Amino acid sequence: MSDPTVVPWPRPVSAARPESVLTVDDILVRFQTRDASVTAVDRMTFDVRHGEFISVIGPSGCGKSTLFNVIGGLITPTSGLVTVAGEPIRGPHPAIGMVFQEESTFPWRTVLDNVAFPLEVRGVSRRVRLEKARDVVAMVGLTGFEGHYPSELSGGMRQRVSIARTLASEPKILLMDEPFAALDEQTRLLLGDKVLQIQQTLKQTTLLITHSITEAVQLSDRVVVMSYRPGRLKRIVDIDLPHPRTSEIMTSDAFGHYVAEIWGDLRDEASRGMAEAEASRGART
Amino acid sequence: MAETRTIVALPITPRLGAVMRLRLFLILGVLIMWEATAASGLLFRDVVPSSVTVVRALVRLLIDPDFWGNFGVTAGEVLAALAIGATAGLAAGLLLGASRFLGRAYEPYLNSLAPTPKIIFFPVMIMAFGVYAGSKVAMGALSAFFPVALSTAGGMREVDAALVKVGRSFRLSTWQMVTKIYLPAIRVPVLNGMRLGFGVAVIGVLLAETKLSNQGLGYLVMQAYARFDMPQMYAILLVVFAVAVALNAGLGRLTEPRHRRT
Ligand SMILES: Nc1ncnc2c1ncn2[C@@H]1O[C@H](COP(=O)(O)OP(=O)(O)OP(=O)(O)O)[C@@H](O)[C@H]1O
Ligand SMILES: [Mg+2]
Repeated sequence: MSDPTVVPWPRPVSAARPESVLTVDDILVRFQTRDASVTAVDRMTFDVRHGEFISVIGPSGCGKSTLFNVIGGLITPTSGLVTVAGEPIRGPHPAIGMVFQEESTFPWRTVLDNVAFPLEVRGVSRRVRLEKARDVVAMVGLTGFEGHYPSELSGGMRQRVSIARTLASEPKILLMDEPFAALDEQTRLLLGDKVLQIQQTLKQTTLLITHSITEAVQLSDRVVVMSYRPGRLKRIVDIDLPHPRTSEIMTSDAFGHYVAEIWGDLRDEASRGMAEAEASRGART
Repeated sequence: MAETRTIVALPITPRLGAVMRLRLFLILGVLIMWEATAASGLLFRDVVPSSVTVVRALVRLLIDPDFWGNFGVTAGEVLAALAIGATAGLAAGLLLGASRFLGRAYEPYLNSLAPTPKIIFFPVMIMAFGVYAGSKVAMGALSAFFPVALSTAGGMREVDAALVKVGRSFRLSTWQMVTKIYLPAIRVPVLNGMRLGFGVAVIGVLLAETKLSNQGLGYLVMQAYARFDMPQMYAILLVVFAVAVALNAGLGRLTEPRHRRT
């Protein structure tokens, strides 16, 4: 069914593509529930190149978070492989840093201690880790809030703390699962600019899970489009927009062209999802 | 069906004055009733002595080194009991809370044993730990174990799954998961369990002392009772009460939510 040859992106062969730091190879995830088995991710294959910003987009419930957890080593796939620098991963990999969809700051730690956390568990001395944390806090624009507890911050600021915490661990590959989903449009745009700016400065290899088309186009070098259940690879779109980009690029014609293209792919999927949801609601009543 | 109800958090401070006044009012009322009963002479002899006599007995008690010796014995027993009972309870709670399997298997035992009056185990404790401090500590520890274990296990199940995922993604060791994620996350339920545990440890120790002992506050109370020295008995009870309230308030402060350091 899911014939990988229809994908305009060749199957990654680690030896042939030395520049790809992460490969997702034929990943299949099936959840066994009490009376049924759900295929959440169906044979996804793509790769991530060094220093690139890649987005995975798809309608709600298509298996994005599942894929995210598989790449992060938190879920073992039913079949398939994730490799980092050619090595298959077993469990969380030291080269990968994750920012979760849910609220995940430690409420009992100040902003600075939250951000210093990954260094602390690695045994970095207090002086060094706090200095480093202060730099990263500045990077996400939270200078002045180092001593605050998460409960004293806004949702957007807390999300920045989560991002900073993962950045502080200096991951070779940064994974983010809809980090801006809970935010309002304005904050989301500004935070997107911020993340892109950091990514460009650090040449940070980044994989962003999102369901916002504009966000994906604005930030990415490539966009991986997923289909609605079971989550399959629909297409990979190269975004050829000049850097540095800010949210202002959204007014350009090229930008609109990419958005329209991806929306064309997603529209069928999204409406299929809605139809399915309505059908199952009808069946229940 | 059930509609969402908005809970409005009211600031507490402006109302504190009124609350305090109401509380003092109650204490005043009890004192007046106490004095009236004492003066009426309706009750047998000294069962309700005048508060003046009680205060005089209290002063006598507080300058008596013998009292402080017994106070020290009981305090030591309670602290030892709390240390042992809370540590065991914390360990048991962590295990039961971390493993759904173990929790399902053993928590029914805890739930049914928790409300059982622990004094029925006193004879066993005497035989196991002797007639001296050992059996009193054992009674207190046994009492303190249950509330700490139950609230720790409950707290473990409430730990935010996202925080556990963060810990795993940063590749924490099991020990780091416990000390850096689980323990801070369950701080409030554990401290509440310890508060309850402290209360029942005091009860366990004092009760055991009243049954069989030759030192400690429980022993002093029984001595006063045997001599029918009611004022002294009330004086001792007042001291125990005051200490318990103070320590409980101290533990309560630890459970308050964190705020910015200034
Ligand atoms: N632990 C699980 N057990 C059973 N089914 C699951 C489990 N986790 C996810 N699923 C199912 O897998 C599918 C994909 O879920 P997933 O959370 O990956 O979606 P998503 O694309 O991240 O959605 P959203 O955009 O809303 O976050 C859903 O149908 C969900 O019901
Ligand atoms: Mg998701």
